[in-house]
Amino acid sequence: MTAILRIESRNRVRSSVILTGVFVITSLFFLAVFPAMRDGAEAIEEAFPEYMIGLFGFEELHTIEGFLGGYVYPFIWVIFGGIYFAYAGAGMIASDIEHRRMDLLLSNPVSRESVIIQSVASLWVPLVVLNLGMAITLFGGVQLVDETLDPVLLSMVHLLSVPYFLVCAGIGLVLSVSVKRVGTAQVGAIGLVFMSWLIEGLSEMGETYEWLGTATPHRYYDSTEILVHEEYALGDAVILMVTFLVLVTAAVAIFVRRDI
Amino acid sequence: MAAISLENLTKRYGDVSANDGITLAVEEGEIFGYLGPNGAGKTTTIRQLLGLIKPTDGTATVLGADIRNRKALTEVKADLGYLPDDLGFDERLTGNQALDYFARMRGDEQREELLELFHPPLEKKIETYSAGNRRMLGIVQAFMHDPELVIMDEPTAGLDPLKQDRLHQFLAEETASGTTIFFSSHILSEVQRVCDRVGIIREGQLVALEDIEKLLDRSGKHVWLHLREDVIESEFVTEEMINVEITDNAIQFTYTGDYNSLLSHLTSYEIDDIEISNPQLDDIFKHYYSEEYTEDS
Repeated sequence: MTAILRIESRNRVRSSVILTGVFVITSLFFLAVFPAMRDGAEAIEEAFPEYMIGLFGFEELHTIEGFLGGYVYPFIWVIFGGIYFAYAGAGMIASDIEHRRMDLLLSNPVSRESVIIQSVASLWVPLVVLNLGMAITLFGGVQLVDETLDPVLLSMVHLLSVPYFLVCAGIGLVLSVSVKRVGTAQVGAIGLVFMSWLIEGLSEMGETYEWLGTATPHRYYDSTEILVHEEYALGDAVILMVTFLVLVTAAVAIFVRRDI
Repeated sequence: MAAISLENLTKRYGDVSANDGITLAVEEGEIFGYLGPNGAGKTTTIRQLLGLIKPTDGTATVLGADIRNRKALTEVKADLGYLPDDLGFDERLTGNQALDYFARMRGDEQREELLELFHPPLEKKIETYSAGNRRMLGIVQAFMHDPELVIMDEPTAGLDPLKQDRLHQFLAEETASGTTIFFSSHILSEVQRVCDRVGIIREGQLVALEDIEKLLDRSGKHVWLHLREDVIESEFVTEEMINVEITDNAIQFTYTGDYNSLLSHLTSYEIDDIEISNPQLDDIFKHYYSEEYTEDS
């Protein structure tokens, strides 16, 4: 039974392509300022207040790896990518219930578990389109500013972002099965993901609140670590994957019990 | 085996009972009318039968599956068709794509035959559909897999009279070949025309369950008259007339007796205008069930 997966995947193509286009254009704008950044990185790093550096994780901004890892990825990928997946997750179930599509869908021989799993599985579309679009753009784009990028590092930045995006989607999904209105779920999910990004960034400023950041998905994906230090935090990726599975399980548990 | 069987089915929302201890059975191959005014609890019953909401108390079986057993209920849905009152299609799909989507989940053996009777513009996106086209698409998806049981909630809403007739005729053919229909409606005349048996629900309670013929015998006719002269109540009104309302030379009442005696009674009056019609559902409730209802409670 893959009817839901097929139709949901199809429905995600449009938004994935549009968002990839937006990300590609934004990345190219970022890359265009890199030559200036390369020359004046020191001044820029000094100019930023410390909390901004902590928030974005600026390091080695004059290298292309530091620039991408500390500037492009945290901004485009972690914040806006995360928000998109949270939004997509939040729209899954609540929207079908609100527009009465769920009544008709569940009159078919398909279980509620299957509805959730197939809906989540349809996220393969934005995951593939966004990752490929961004990776190809940046790989080609850096050559325009006379730089080169190790394709292995680039692949790892994208590969390790997948568990992070899935957790964002999972947060949205749990809200989606818990609240009555899709708008509430979507705003809540975006707010949660943005807030946890903020908390994680600020928690790194001092040791007193450092522990707060461990409860956020953002702690477990760091593009600068990968690009600048070539360190792949596979353990962190596992933590994110387990969190994602827990969130989906929780969503199923809530959804099968609730009235529609 | 009954296609649908409700046992003390109860659904409460706080202090409000949307369904209050409903017990009834729908036999295989019959068209069962589930009649009640809007807000009586018809859709609540249907949504419990589909497992969308859980009963507070009591239970029901659908094609032998207990609605509290999610797995069993999911399995029998392969032989179930559902036409909701509020048709939630994916608006971005065309009619054809929507039917393909449902066909992948439960088959479409008689899709082409149905499309000869009901033909929404399949190439167009559903968001452009009129209410009638939506309803036709809903009918096709409900029946296209040749189900054993079809649950229909206000099925003719939005259909033009010609299509309504076509649907009624189609339902008769389907039940002749063994399909069971659970037909929910607030329109008495429609239920009268289509159904074998009827259950009437009011304020969440089943207030009548009987053959349509018997119900009609009991419900009488609504009569409205305009006489040439003022109506003299003591002279005009007989004991077969109930719910009598008189204003000068106009009178309306529900007539529960033999029609011939009514007609011969009327010949002794000068009549300017007359209308004899089926009583409104509300009248039936008021006059045939209110006493019982009050006594019971």
